[in-house]
Amino acid sequence: MPQVKIIAKNFMDMVASLPAIKLDMLYRNQFICEAILRSLPPLAKKYVLQMLYIDVPITSKSLQEWVIADGSSKHKVAIDRLIQLRVLEVIDRKKETAYKLNSTFQTNLRKHLINGGILPREPMPSNVTARLPTLEELDAYAHGQWEEQGVDQADLIAFLLELSFHTTGEAYSLNTLTDDQRAMIKDLADLGLVKLQQGRKESWFIPTKLATNLSVSLTDSSLRKQGFVVVETNFRLYAYSSSKLHCEILRLFSRVEYQLPNLIVGAITKESLYNAFENGITAEQIITFLQQNAHPRVAEKTPAVPENVTDQIRLWETDLNRVEMTPAHCYDEFPSRDVFEAASDFARVHCGLLWEDPKKMRMVVKAEIHMLMREHLRGNK
Amino acid sequence: MAPAPSKLYADDVSLVVVLLDTNPFFWSSSSLSFSQFLSHVLAFFNAILTLNQLNQVVVIATGYNSCDYIFDSSSDLNRSFENGRMPVMCSSLLQKLEEFLIKDEQFSKEEPDGRIKSSLLSGSLSMALCYIQRVFRSGALHPHPRILCLQGSPDGPEQYVAIMNAIFSAQHSLVPIDSCYIGAQNSAFLQQASYITGGVHHKPQNLDGLFQYLMTIFATDLHSRSFLNLPKPVGVDFRASCFCHKDTIDMGYICSVCLSIFCKHHKKCSTCGSVFGQAQSEVASASDKKRKTPET
Repeated sequence: MPQVKIIAKNFMDMVASLPAIKLDMLYRNQFICEAILRSLPPLAKKYVLQMLYIDVPITSKSLQEWVIADGSSKHKVAIDRLIQLRVLEVIDRKKETAYKLNSTFQTNLRKHLINGGILPREPMPSNVTARLPTLEELDAYAHGQWEEQGVDQADLIAFLLELSFHTTGEAYSLNTLTDDQRAMIKDLADLGLVKLQQGRKESWFIPTKLATNLSVSLTDSSLRKQGFVVVETNFRLYAYSSSKLHCEILRLFSRVEYQLPNLIVGAITKESLYNAFENGITAEQIITFLQQNAHPRVAEKTPAVPENVTDQIRLWETDLNRVEMTPAHCYDEFPSRDVFEAASDFARVHCGLLWEDPKKMRMVVKAEIHMLMREHLRGNK
Repeated sequence: MAPAPSKLYADDVSLVVVLLDTNPFFWSSSSLSFSQFLSHVLAFFNAILTLNQLNQVVVIATGYNSCDYIFDSSSDLNRSFENGRMPVMCSSLLQKLEEFLIKDEQFSKEEPDGRIKSSLLSGSLSMALCYIQRVFRSGALHPHPRILCLQGSPDGPEQYVAIMNAIFSAQHSLVPIDSCYIGAQNSAFLQQASYITGGVHHKPQNLDGLFQYLMTIFATDLHSRSFLNLPKPVGVDFRASCFCHKDTIDMGYICSVCLSIFCKHHKKCSTCGSVFGQAQSEVASASDKKRKTPET
């Protein structure tokens, strides 16, 4: 259901664009705090948990120390997202910025962790609700009813997020809703998020999967595509796909031999890999591609791609990197040994000396310090 | 031995199998009381389940004589959270824990003295790995499993072989073993386990803040670990136990066929049955003794 994912992404952006006062009100609800936590990128989730019981502000420098150099871009994304959602408050001190968790959010998330959230309603007993639709019927209903609608109100957001913690398929009485929520429930039924039913005495609503999936993390399991590539230890490649895109991707680094209606057969060879490397593709990219698109049959195995294949791909890559080039200058015909030695020391001090031959008084110096060397030599003369 | 090769983790869904030390001999003399410990740990479990809708927590109790499953967050009983996740989890977990402790104590009736009061870590590690294997075989889409050992009891040298086998099995399946040691001394087994499988080992300085240590270090999902500065192994204790007496040794004899370790010279290897040569004289034998050191 791609539509739900698009809405979910905009949903959180929509939450982030609410004014500060409204966000603070939202954060009074424990379930909303949990929903917001789940929508954050993984690093941001970790920061929130780490700072949950810390009351003093933490400098941005200390926060940066938690991440290694490779992760600095992810760190920035996480911090920005936290500030955008007003979960993290920025405290500008004279010398450096510090961060603190939003106190409403912090208090309520603490309560949620220790006490666990209790929903304001329970499912109705089954003797009242005569025949509940099956989950498949619910799914079909949800598909049928889904439409796009603009939503503005913070209350609606709060209710929707609360709804996401209910159990799909269970019936909840309409009496447990506030007047505002009752007004909204009709629209939600039109959207396919809930199904309204009426018994003899009571009426109830049943959340569908659309509602309960609202707060699922954006990278949830349904987004994991099915893999299609099998790599054998003899370097042969079998891709169960009929997609032209997949075929072209495989052609980039392997020799495609046969193309059948549902299968692409090929082999990973030295020539095909050299081609790929010349086009700027790295061995890591190829190996990552094979691992992430591994066919379910081999994906369960450890490792998904045979080690001899991954090792050989990396070795072939290093074949092309046997020579390392540094731009440099060569100096010879020094007037005297003293000048030569002074120049050699000068180059060494500036970390530019690559090679020297004291007998013949020749040296090779990095191009970066060539101008400095010239000055030095002119000065000496 | 280089730490485990890292797997590619695309997202942060985790399955954490927690091995909870319930050894009464340890808890009766610990500065942190068992109930305080449980309050830290239960809040930690709730935090893991809060992080992601698809996260899963399984708890196995490591007793003195036996081990058993105490809690599984994905079981049907625990899945309907209308009454609040924490109360449901607490009541179910605590009830099972109590039943387990009563059963575990009953095994102690006839028992030889003189054994180090260690908990049955080898048993719970094996149970955890079996559960994880079942998850692996259930289909391609499964959360990334890891094992967390919450241990305070000292190491039991008689479990050396079983624990090392479990560690190598975890290494082969790419399952990291994290360990949080809350006892007085150090645990060589847990240090080795975390080092070999690529997990994190930590001995908290201040047990009052156990929850914060758990949140900061052990709640990290496997995907984020490649970007974070987590405690690194400093001086892992690689000492082995001899196969004949289960004593910890750092110099001994090794069978060249199956690599079993002995503290004294034997005529025959007890594991593979190969016959050894005659015992050399004192001087010569000192130079023949091999030292088991970590491979680099």
